[in-house]
Amino acid sequence: MIGYVARRLLQLLPVLLIGSVGIWAMIYAVPGGPVGLIVGENASQAQIDAVTEELGLNDPVMVQYGRWLSGAVTGDLGTSIQSGNETVVSLIASRIPATMQLGFMAIFIGLILSIPLAIISARWPGSLPDRLISGYAALVLGVPTFWLGILFILFFSVRLGFLPAASSFIPIWEQPVQAIKMTLLPAATLGIYTSGIFVRFLRASLLSELRSDYVRTAHSKGVRHRLVLIRHVLRNALLPFVTVVGLQTGNFIGGAVVTEAVFTYPGLGRMLIQAIGTRDYPLIQGTILVVLVLYVVVNVIVDVVYAYLDPRIQYS
Amino acid sequence: MAAAVTVTDRQPTKKTQSPFRQVVKRVLGYPGARIAVVFIFVLVVVAVLAPFMGLDSLTQDVANRLQPPSGEHWFGTDELGRDIMARTIQGARTSLFSAAGAVVIAASFGVPIGLIAGFYGGWRDAILMRVIDVMLALPAILFAMALIAVLGRSQITALIAVGVVGIPSFARITRAQVLSLKNREYVTAVEALGGSSVYSMFRTVLPNSWSPILVQIVILSSVAILLEAALAFLGLGVPPPTPSWGEMLRTGKSFLRDAPHYAVLPGVILTCTILCLDTLGRTLARVLEDRNEFGAETEMEAGVA
Repeated sequence: MIGYVARRLLQLLPVLLIGSVGIWAMIYAVPGGPVGLIVGENASQAQIDAVTEELGLNDPVMVQYGRWLSGAVTGDLGTSIQSGNETVVSLIASRIPATMQLGFMAIFIGLILSIPLAIISARWPGSLPDRLISGYAALVLGVPTFWLGILFILFFSVRLGFLPAASSFIPIWEQPVQAIKMTLLPAATLGIYTSGIFVRFLRASLLSELRSDYVRTAHSKGVRHRLVLIRHVLRNALLPFVTVVGLQTGNFIGGAVVTEAVFTYPGLGRMLIQAIGTRDYPLIQGTILVVLVLYVVVNVIVDVVYAYLDPRIQYS
Repeated sequence: MAAAVTVTDRQPTKKTQSPFRQVVKRVLGYPGARIAVVFIFVLVVVAVLAPFMGLDSLTQDVANRLQPPSGEHWFGTDELGRDIMARTIQGARTSLFSAAGAVVIAASFGVPIGLIAGFYGGWRDAILMRVIDVMLALPAILFAMALIAVLGRSQITALIAVGVVGIPSFARITRAQVLSLKNREYVTAVEALGGSSVYSMFRTVLPNSWSPILVQIVILSSVAILLEAALAFLGLGVPPPTPSWGEMLRTGKSFLRDAPHYAVLPGVILTCTILCLDTLGRTLARVLEDRNEFGAETEMEAGVA
């Protein structure tokens, strides 16, 4: 097990290395380069030289990358260009709780919607309810979240007026009711979308478990089908399902940009959009790097948890 | 007599029916796919003919701003009094053009990458697949945003960004297909007869890999339309005044109280387009799977949250 974890972590290195070079090189690929961003278009040669020297751009490329990387590893991602002297790290840290709260609520809603639907589907495969549920999954995966979000705002905020159209972040441990009210619409938008992925996966997982030998044994002992499904099959089908839920959680770290934009929710994704709009490159680089690292780390955690939960699988 | 003649006439044509026509026939056997094909066909025709339809998507008429749908303006008017229906049709051009361009980019890079990685294996495979892993280490929309942050905002950069995001799916599907074909007799036969590896790669393996690639082309078209609209919605896609569906939803969102039709109607067309392409892609996958030509699963079922 320890060997497996170590190997999995080692596999991360090339991805993180190539990814970090790409993110670091971004600023050099921008028209005007890093100097142009600071001095502007009408700078004199002396100004350009001074800034070039100050940024250490006369050093060899490897030295520059090394400097940036050692900064990143020790938690120094530079300062944001636009918002005064705030460090990139503190700006990112301030947005992470909001993003996490939205992500977890969305996953929760997704699970509540999908688990019963998947069980109904797998209980009567090929029936009308099963086909309706498959249709539901296709529908929610096809509808763009930003349009669904707009419809929600139109209905729940504009027409009925009981949920806010623009969300702000209230920590759920401070004012639970207000927090849920604020996060409900964006979380439901994301959760409904996710439930489509969950239903499809869990249904397939349940159906393949139903073909196992132990199911036949249970049936021949005379256990009722409903009990077999809930007591035995569901437990085993939930194992691989954990992987999908974990990956989806990882996806919501920074990946919920569009939904955050619809509801003007102050998460990581929305900060990135604003940073791109104001050409705040240190903030853009920092945010993307953090999302990349979190995303791949979540992937590894998911794999390891799965290996731990399912001892049948030998990892070589 | 006449009936007998028709029967004998028909039989040879049925026998020599090309595999392509058989697949088309099987796909159209599904009612959902039929609806999807009709919708996409109408959309493409309207988008192509838009310049000849006398549509005016740019003239402003501020006195008649934010009008609800009427006989004169079927989809109503926007905040500058422009006809939303005309803009939706022009937006279809933007969407379809971006999607087509993105799919071409994704396939023309992804397929050769998968082909080389799968065919040669070894260090080429290791390096190419690590690069693909990195491209998959960010949610698709974030990767596209990062590219736009570097390249600047325009219709072409949005198209390139969406195309680049699609490369991994083609690379992985082609690679999987090549791996399953590489050791078949007819491939080893070509090599035994002295065919070069490039010859056997492009003339033997690739022609037999087209089914999953074809499915991926359809599925990626729907993903590309969704991504392009999402980027425009975030204000990172086609710059105004060029009409695009995402941009219309973005602006329309500010007028939900006074003019709900503004954001809702273009969204209906966008959603229908995505659903139709998705249905078509999945039906095609099912038909080709039945023909046992399918080694790889499709990828990128979604990517925009």
